[in-house]
Amino acid sequence: MEYLALVYGNPETWDSLSDEERAASYEGYMAVARDATAAGALVDASELESTGTATSVRVRGGEALVSDGPYAEVKESLGGYYLFSCDTLEDAVEWAAKIPAAWHGGAIEVRPVHAGEEAAS
Amino acid sequence: MKYAMLVYTDQSGWDSYSEEEATQLRAESMPRWNALFEEMARVDPDAMGRELASASEAKVVRVVDGETLVTDGPFAETKELIGGFFLTELPDLDEAIRLATIAPAAEYGTLEIRPLATR
Repeated sequence: MEYLALVYGNPETWDSLSDEERAASYEGYMAVARDATAAGALVDASELESTGTATSVRVRGGEALVSDGPYAEVKESLGGYYLFSCDTLEDAVEWAAKIPAAWHGGAIEVRPVHAGEEAAS
Repeated sequence: MKYAMLVYTDQSGWDSYSEEEATQLRAESMPRWNALFEEMARVDPDAMGRELASASEAKVVRVVDGETLVTDGPFAETKELIGGFFLTELPDLDEAIRLATIAPAAEYGTLEIRPLATR
């Protein structure tokens, strides 16, 4: 069973960290990926560029509407994801709790992947 | 450049459908989704995508003072929520936009395109 862990954090918190703190935090993210890979529990993981690089696309009345910016301007934005492969939701939550953003005022949203759907994989 | 395409839709509508209605609606939109999957696979054979289970199944994880707190999600309080995502390697943003407009969800939701960070 796959679970997507969406990493939400406040970019201002990240920017306020010292270089050392940032390096330690980044190492924390790498460690989760490394440990989960070693445990056979990681399918994929990536960091996203900041929401300032986002482009939103909608089609209304047959016309494509393209705008700069993320879907929603929020204080805590989506900064990356881990796609875990685990037996249970509890296992996925355990991995999620190791992700640095969970410790630093952010939050990890854990979502089961739709059963039997691995679209375009 | 690698891009994430996040599919935002209003899922409250889905939750009001019966299992049968939902299955039928999904079946009706599948050919158009399949057209997107095929086009994406043509452009990037390694493209991947996942559909997520209902946001009502989401859990939000925080760690406060070393203690793991798990609450029912979703985290975002927006009307539209992430219902699925794609990861593709594409020549440029224009190509990502072109693919995004093929998605049926572009007509009733929003596709957010975000480059993946490179370090």
